[in-house]
Amino acid sequence: MEFGWSADEVAHRERIRSVLNRMLPDDWEEIALHGPGSDAQTDFSYDFCSALADEGLLIPNWPSAFGGSDEGVWRQFIMAEEVWSAGEPRGPQYMNINWIGPVLMRFGTADQQDRYLPPIREGRAIWCQGFSEPSAGSDLASLRTTATPVEGGYRVSGAKVWTSYAGRADTCFLLARVPAVEGAATGKTAIVILLTDMKSAGIQVKSIPSLIGDGDIHEVFFDDVFVPEANRLGAEGQAWEIITFALQNERVGIPRYEFSRRILDRAVGRLKADGRWADPVVQDRAGRALMLCEAARMLVYRIVDARARDLPPDAYGAVARWAVVLADNGVNDFLTEFLPEGLLGEDPVQQAHHQRAIAAGVASGAAEIQLNLIARRWLELPGEGGRR
Amino acid sequence: MNFSLNEDQTSLLTGLDQLLAAEAPPAPTEPVFTEYAHGLDAVLSESGFLDIAREDGFGLLDAALIVERLARLPQTVEAASTAIIAPALGLEPGLRPVALTSGNPLRAARYLPMAKMLIVDRGDDALILSVDPARVAPVETLFAYPYGRLTEVDEGAGTVFADVALLRRVWRIALAAEAAGCMASAVATVVEHVSTRQAFGRPLGAFQAIQHRLAMAAETTESAKWLAFRAAWSGRDDDAAIAAGFVQARIPQFTFDLHQFSGAMGLTLEYPLHYWTYRLRALVGELGGSTGQARAAAVAAWGDAA
Repeated sequence: MEFGWSADEVAHRERIRSVLNRMLPDDWEEIALHGPGSDAQTDFSYDFCSALADEGLLIPNWPSAFGGSDEGVWRQFIMAEEVWSAGEPRGPQYMNINWIGPVLMRFGTADQQDRYLPPIREGRAIWCQGFSEPSAGSDLASLRTTATPVEGGYRVSGAKVWTSYAGRADTCFLLARVPAVEGAATGKTAIVILLTDMKSAGIQVKSIPSLIGDGDIHEVFFDDVFVPEANRLGAEGQAWEIITFALQNERVGIPRYEFSRRILDRAVGRLKADGRWADPVVQDRAGRALMLCEAARMLVYRIVDARARDLPPDAYGAVARWAVVLADNGVNDFLTEFLPEGLLGEDPVQQAHHQRAIAAGVASGAAEIQLNLIARRWLELPGEGGRR
Repeated sequence: MNFSLNEDQTSLLTGLDQLLAAEAPPAPTEPVFTEYAHGLDAVLSESGFLDIAREDGFGLLDAALIVERLARLPQTVEAASTAIIAPALGLEPGLRPVALTSGNPLRAARYLPMAKMLIVDRGDDALILSVDPARVAPVETLFAYPYGRLTEVDEGAGTVFADVALLRRVWRIALAAEAAGCMASAVATVVEHVSTRQAFGRPLGAFQAIQHRLAMAAETTESAKWLAFRAAWSGRDDDAAIAAGFVQARIPQFTFDLHQFSGAMGLTLEYPLHYWTYRLRALVGELGGSTGQARAAAVAAWGDAA
């Protein structure tokens, strides 16, 4: 057991910082203010991810067979920490690297891999995930959007909501349910994943004004949209296995605590400059926020360590996610109380952090679902019916 | 970065578990606030486990692993000060158990009734005193540690230890490791209770209101453990203050919830929960409590000056 970084990992982090310092423009904070789904950040992501690819830093974690460098899990995570603490200049494309690409590599056909992976590794693909619906948020299995089998594919009808990046996405990682017919599969096994071209006839995207930035959440309506069978990911009945794999990658792929730690460092700098740091109450509250960040860091590192050693996934991801939510909100509460001017136009980075923090317990499924998972799978408490 | 035990650590904890299987006394059968495991104390002293940080190739992390494991026992035995603090301060081995207090040497101190040594954090320095059992009065307390206070003290007879920052750093590590072990057993005890105790036709643990707060207690326990181990590994001021402050800040809600889920049974001495929760509550106020640690962490991370 040890908690340090190797010389190679230290050098890797320094190189990434150097690249980010060189590649991020002077007005990056203004760009980041608008959120990862905004037009400004999406536009920036094309140039940035393309340049990152040229540096060999966009998909180094991918297998060499798919254009990556077979980099280890920890090096990948160091990259994630650094870009997240810089405000995630990869914009919506972080998702491609974290889980869309890995899911396609694992479950996609050769044709799907040939079609979808090159744009991702060149930094010119925007995806959205068609998961949540008006009546199915964290309870994903109750989704109602239908995918009716027809000759050569499916006809999709229904609505998705809270869909990040849909306004600019090329492709939707869409979950839909094959309508039940007698003798057919139902429940989770009736769900299919359709890699849906967002330019298809019958798709309408409506942006939802929100507290968390421009372009981050949308409603997406599907009106008898045809999706070729060749765009179905995995076999019918395999979708839940794929979704579980995807969510495992998605939920711990974002080191949110690192951005919170960075914004906390920045806040202390401002408090010092304003002559307010000597106040023992300020130091106490800053120290408490720091504790939450570091607790979240250790729990997330515990997951990354397990992945680096190829241990089977366990409920620890849920434990870590709860800690991350507490850290984001603890730092946000500190900032809002002691530096409210940051939300009054004086600090775009603080506002960007605020907008991410208030969504931390909701995005990727309500954090209460994680508490359920901890209770059932980590503590092995009885289920609602009383059975373990 | 590696969260798994190395071969030496695995051997160490396997050996400790074997020793505990043979030597740890059964859980107290009489309702008591606390029970000091004198026999186990003697065996541990002889075994060398508590001196592991003094061995070549081992250090404070290995000592913290042992302290965390011993803190899970229902009985108490002084380990943290002997295994973590004394070696870090360069004190001679063998003079134990070790008691700790802050400020006035006459204040009540954990383990003083059986201690051979008392370390007093006096603010600007520390005073290390040999303990004369004839000058120790036991203190009755709800806390699940044996407490005592000196009836008189000759400060001139003690040894002054100047590096009080070092003392506080390793005290924080010791506190964090001990608290993490207490939390692990407290959660396990309550999980067992709510999994078997039926109410309204199903186990208490099937109710989501209880599940969610126990899940939060589990997160607290895991965070406390890894922060303590990291602090023991790094020996850094900020890591130590973060580890101790985190656990002290969480103890009030943690202990409230675990007693709440145990109902009136949790208020009795025949139910073992208090062995851990009333050690945790004793640890809440040490070294200035979570506020003291939070400020120390902030100063260590960002400095005190503008």
